[in-house]
Amino acid sequence: MPERIFSQAVFSEGQVEAHGFSIRYWEAGQGRPVFMLDSTGWRQSLLHDALAEKYHIFSLELPGTGESPANTRSQSVAELAATAANAASALTSERYTLIGTSFGAHVALWQTLQMPDQVEALILISPTAIKPQDISADATSLEVHQLMFAHPENAQKHEPISEQIFAKERDLARRLNSGVHDSQAEARLGDIRCPTLAVFGLDDRLVSPEAARVYREYIPNSNIAIVYDAGHCIIGERPEALVNSVADYADQWETFIISRQTGLINP
Amino acid sequence: MKASYFGAMGYSDRWKFPRVWPIPPAYHDSETSVRSYQEGMEECEFAEEMGFDWLSFSEHHYSGRVATGTPSVMAAAVAERCKKVKIAMLGHLLPLNNPVRIAEELAILDNLTNGRVVAGFLRGTPNEDQVYSMNPAEGRGRLLEGMDLILKALTEPQPFSWEGRYYQFRTVAVWPRPVQKPHPPVVVATRSDDTVRYAAEHQLSLAVSFLPVAQMEVITDKYRNWCQEAGWSPGPDNIVYRGSIYVGETDKQADDWFDSLMETRPGPNIPLRRTVSEAIQSARTGGDFDLRNVVAGSPDGDVVGNSLGINFVGGPDKVVKQLKEFHDRCGVGVVDLLIQQTTVDHQGVLKEIELLGKNVIPQIKEF
Repeated sequence: MPERIFSQAVFSEGQVEAHGFSIRYWEAGQGRPVFMLDSTGWRQSLLHDALAEKYHIFSLELPGTGESPANTRSQSVAELAATAANAASALTSERYTLIGTSFGAHVALWQTLQMPDQVEALILISPTAIKPQDISADATSLEVHQLMFAHPENAQKHEPISEQIFAKERDLARRLNSGVHDSQAEARLGDIRCPTLAVFGLDDRLVSPEAARVYREYIPNSNIAIVYDAGHCIIGERPEALVNSVADYADQWETFIISRQTGLINP
Repeated sequence: MKASYFGAMGYSDRWKFPRVWPIPPAYHDSETSVRSYQEGMEECEFAEEMGFDWLSFSEHHYSGRVATGTPSVMAAAVAERCKKVKIAMLGHLLPLNNPVRIAEELAILDNLTNGRVVAGFLRGTPNEDQVYSMNPAEGRGRLLEGMDLILKALTEPQPFSWEGRYYQFRTVAVWPRPVQKPHPPVVVATRSDDTVRYAAEHQLSLAVSFLPVAQMEVITDKYRNWCQEAGWSPGPDNIVYRGSIYVGETDKQADDWFDSLMETRPGPNIPLRRTVSEAIQSARTGGDFDLRNVVAGSPDGDVVGNSLGINFVGGPDKVVKQLKEFHDRCGVGVVDLLIQQTTVDHQGVLKEIELLGKNVIPQIKEF
């Protein structure tokens, strides 16, 4: 299998068949399984490296995203989530932590609703399921890329995805009705029983600041984390802060609220 | 224009203090201190009676000149006696404090006063950086993050975690909620461009202290331009000026007082040893500091610091003209007056409050 080298973790690439799709994934690490549904362009990051130190990471390229062929078959986010769940079941028989970012978090939400026995913890990073902001239908990849960051200088450090991939993913999102408030998902948030963390950048321009409280209010065992001085692309602006909160939550679930840092200066 | 009385709660015998900071606690006498706070509260009550619109409280440490290291405590005590005026916290030194704790205090105060709080935040003068072991290099970052955290804590209806640069709180759920929605009006006390701009971009008010009108005008011009860029126009209550004042029965009486003050050669308001002052400044600005290259003076230490000066001096009509200049040139809509000068005793403060209430406030209300 082709290998991709990250700073410390070595991810090996593979393919898994699910619902007629051939899904690419990258795998690294040992331990409890963690599945990640990331945004295109952000499948190699400090977060992946950090998690691969403790967990068996599978980063999936959802059908119709990234370099995968256009996805004209999935009809809803829920249906795409079922495909992702099917892929996960093919890769592990254990319960797993599921981490989704942005659109991937929307998919992860439905995956958890559909497969409550498989998902032992859910982490939603900048989820767009609830109260996303309106974006112009004519927005280009560059324009959306810039909206993802609180600080323009951070946007300039990272390449936007190609217009070709952007157009493909936009078409998929429109057909799946993603990018608008998912009232069906909202109505079912109370059905999510696993520990859940929703993480938002304080300055996210793609999701309403009122979204976080919806998750907290309706998901019984949930926490919300606000990352200061970050926009929608938290990993691109405050990577250490995101790693800190996500890694702690993956390890400690709802007990991550208890401080384990010492305040002792001198014994 | 509105008038605010700065409730400094100065120690009555502050004229006896040495010219140092911090003031050694050895200078403290309990009987004098108890009396000082009672006098200070009496001054606040009289100020309300005389028509002041706000009473303000400020966080200063380790000195009896402004003896309110925990301004929330002072404000709560005064608020029980003064039931009409705004209670303005001008303000909490955010870099020194736990922002969540400040949010809680502001919320409680807003409940105790049934929605009369004005919240003010600032970085603090360099000497205050020594308090609570705060690294001066982090003051700006702590201030900016602290303000965002406090605003979030006062407005987010669900418990949340905060992943900041300087603050990490895994559970924040401030209770009670402030009476004023979405939160009490917020004033940012600053002279620095970045925080003036922060205030403008976040639609927060601006407060500036003790500067001459020309320098104040430079800052308020920038503030108003940045407000316009952010899509809003500040109103009169959005620009606050804190100034030091002596108002006499007549111009001559005020001038004579000022001359006698100058004869005492008052010296720096917050005197610091030069080495300490330069170390703090270099930490704040990121500059180099070589202790052994700083030329020290006498064994008592080469003392540096700014003298505040007196911003408004005169009889009532002259003071009105001076205040009007701040209004006309800078858009100041609230003037926060420090009346408790070192050589003005309690009776003298009451007299000035009366003069202001009867002769100045009725005029400035017409601006």
